[in-house]
Amino acid sequence: MRKRLVASPTMQRWLLLIILGLALVLELSVSRPLWPVLAQETAAGPAERGGSLEGRLLDPQGEPIHGADVAALADGGDEPLVHAESQNDGSYLLDLPPGEFDSLIIEISRPHFYPTELHLEDSTVAQITAGEAARLPDLELTRRLTPGFWVATLSFVLVLVLIALERLHKTTAALLGVALVLGFSFVGGAINPDFFIFDFERALEYVDFDVIFLVMGMMIVIAVIEETGIFQWLAYQAYRLSRGKVWLLVTILMIITSVASALLDNVTTMLLMAPITIQIALTLGINPLSVLIPEVLASNVGGISTLIGTPTNILIGSYAGLGFNDFLINLTPGVVLALVALILFVLLHYRKTYAAAGKGLSDAMRERLRESGRITQPEKLRKAGLIFVVMLVFFIIGDTIHLVPAVTALLGAVAMLLWVSTDIEEMLKVVDWTTLMFFIALFISVGALQEVGLISFIAAGIGSLVGGNLTVAILVLVWSAALLSGVIDNIPFAATMLPVVGFLTRTVPGAESHVLWYGLSIGAAMGGNSTLIGSSPNLVTAGISERAGFRISYLEFLKVGLPATVITVVIGTIWLFIRF
Amino acid sequence: MSKILCATRGGEGSHPTQDGAVALAKERGDELVFFVVVDISFLNQTAAPLVVDVEARLEKMGRFQLAMAQERAADQGLEAQAVVRRGHLRAELVAAVKELGADTIVLGRPQDREAIFDDKALAAFAKGLQAVTGAEVLIL
Repeated sequence: MRKRLVASPTMQRWLLLIILGLALVLELSVSRPLWPVLAQETAAGPAERGGSLEGRLLDPQGEPIHGADVAALADGGDEPLVHAESQNDGSYLLDLPPGEFDSLIIEISRPHFYPTELHLEDSTVAQITAGEAARLPDLELTRRLTPGFWVATLSFVLVLVLIALERLHKTTAALLGVALVLGFSFVGGAINPDFFIFDFERALEYVDFDVIFLVMGMMIVIAVIEETGIFQWLAYQAYRLSRGKVWLLVTILMIITSVASALLDNVTTMLLMAPITIQIALTLGINPLSVLIPEVLASNVGGISTLIGTPTNILIGSYAGLGFNDFLINLTPGVVLALVALILFVLLHYRKTYAAAGKGLSDAMRERLRESGRITQPEKLRKAGLIFVVMLVFFIIGDTIHLVPAVTALLGAVAMLLWVSTDIEEMLKVVDWTTLMFFIALFISVGALQEVGLISFIAAGIGSLVGGNLTVAILVLVWSAALLSGVIDNIPFAATMLPVVGFLTRTVPGAESHVLWYGLSIGAAMGGNSTLIGSSPNLVTAGISERAGFRISYLEFLKVGLPATVITVVIGTIWLFIRF
Repeated sequence: MSKILCATRGGEGSHPTQDGAVALAKERGDELVFFVVVDISFLNQTAAPLVVDVEARLEKMGRFQLAMAQERAADQGLEAQAVVRRGHLRAELVAAVKELGADTIVLGRPQDREAIFDDKALAAFAKGLQAVTGAEVLIL
């Protein structure tokens, strides 16, 4: 029998710390290189040299084109003098050999674009012949639909459908999409270059590791905090303070849920609040759905306030370079207004239910509820709470000291492991590795859509629709995001919209204020309130509620969620116009 | 003394089933066990990170609801036990029947919105359960 190598708890703790430390170093080196970037080419010596040509390649949406093959042909020859590949910023540099040329042609080819030829002007040819450097104007390539386009597009649609129909685990579905894209790229690409989408190296460039490490760090932090029972205690305090007044209980719970969703994340908040809320509702003799649904609506709204409140904000913040303070300053006031309106709507909608609160439970059950609402580990709460407060300070001042949120999250996670002394095996379990893999696979799948041009087509279409008008752009973006978020899970939706909004931000006058990013945040999150499937907190709450014997039907949620969405999105839109 | 295993989820929709199980237990002089399974497979639907020990939270909620069922049974003059398991409903039911030595399983009749099965599916489920466990399966 093989002897199994088992690491001791101490060794496991150090191993995890080393992994987190390496992640920190990686993050720090990406945000600020720790070593000088080596020049890609060595300078030519003083010997006679030929001229050079540089330029930049862009797609129709102004996005740089990476990986295009650029070749220079002279005097009608078939063999290229020199080749180069365009870089991430679309730039290319051709160092031509010394010689006299009568004519020079630049040939550019790249999968999913039409091959392009550029005949250089005589003056430019003369410059090159004289050994000088010449810069060509930016060149826009024209996209073309290829078999690879359909592979990438249909693979992504398949992933969305599989997730929506629950045929496969979300991560399995996303990995299937990646496997299809890469499989066709390598196998199909060898048969027909038009099947090629990208290789592994390019695929990984689309993975935003800032998001991965931020999510991973926060997972550990949240896992430690939630063990203390603080959320159950808060919910119980709401019950105690309301003294049987259901309307007051619901108001307090909605505020608690909203704030918690902003500081942790809204899915975790509902996972923690829903079970205790059900117990509180049963104790008061009211239908738990009349408390759960308002809570989840509040969590979707409140989570928008900060960078870390919703996965969609984390995606948006990282892509657009928006920090913790940006969301706090630019969205929180609007969120507060929307929350007030939401509370009033909910109290109006459920007024008869709240007034008809029935006979509560026995004293024994109330005592059981009190037990459920205890802080179970006060010492751990004190330490973890202190670390979390420090993290919030670093999130707020991070922009000033060049500390990216992912590093703050990793530092917080390491501090938790070192000081709060959590069981290392439990810590390894709480990191939701399958969800991290889902994010990685999602980034790659959306990257494939960018490579083949689907995102560009969408961006161009929306760009035409808004016609350079910022007001129209805000309205179209917010309300289309709100509408689509009701039917598509908002995480894949937001990931797909990032390059589209990036394009609109660059091209629509006035959008440099980042208003469109905040519009995407509002639409994607608040729109998730419209239907039961609109966002993850809705789904997990419905799942918990069903397991307790209280099923939230699609229609029942819609009757509350849809008007709530309209109200909050209207307020959110008005806030954007006021703020920007 | 024989044992009745009543699979329940709590909520008013489960009250008729619980009351029926209590009445049956009193009539036969059997022991009654209320049974809840914590199944978190619904979390696979969501694309968001999950770091909470959801099973532990749902188990606590399940025990709360079973305590309510036990109180209701006590009000009707019967002392009932409560068991919470984690996993999938069918597998845990089968295991519990064998472990607890239950002779009878009571399942809840679909109550409209709270139902996870319709009548036909429930009947098929019951038939399968009976075949595997050998216990009598009643739908109340």
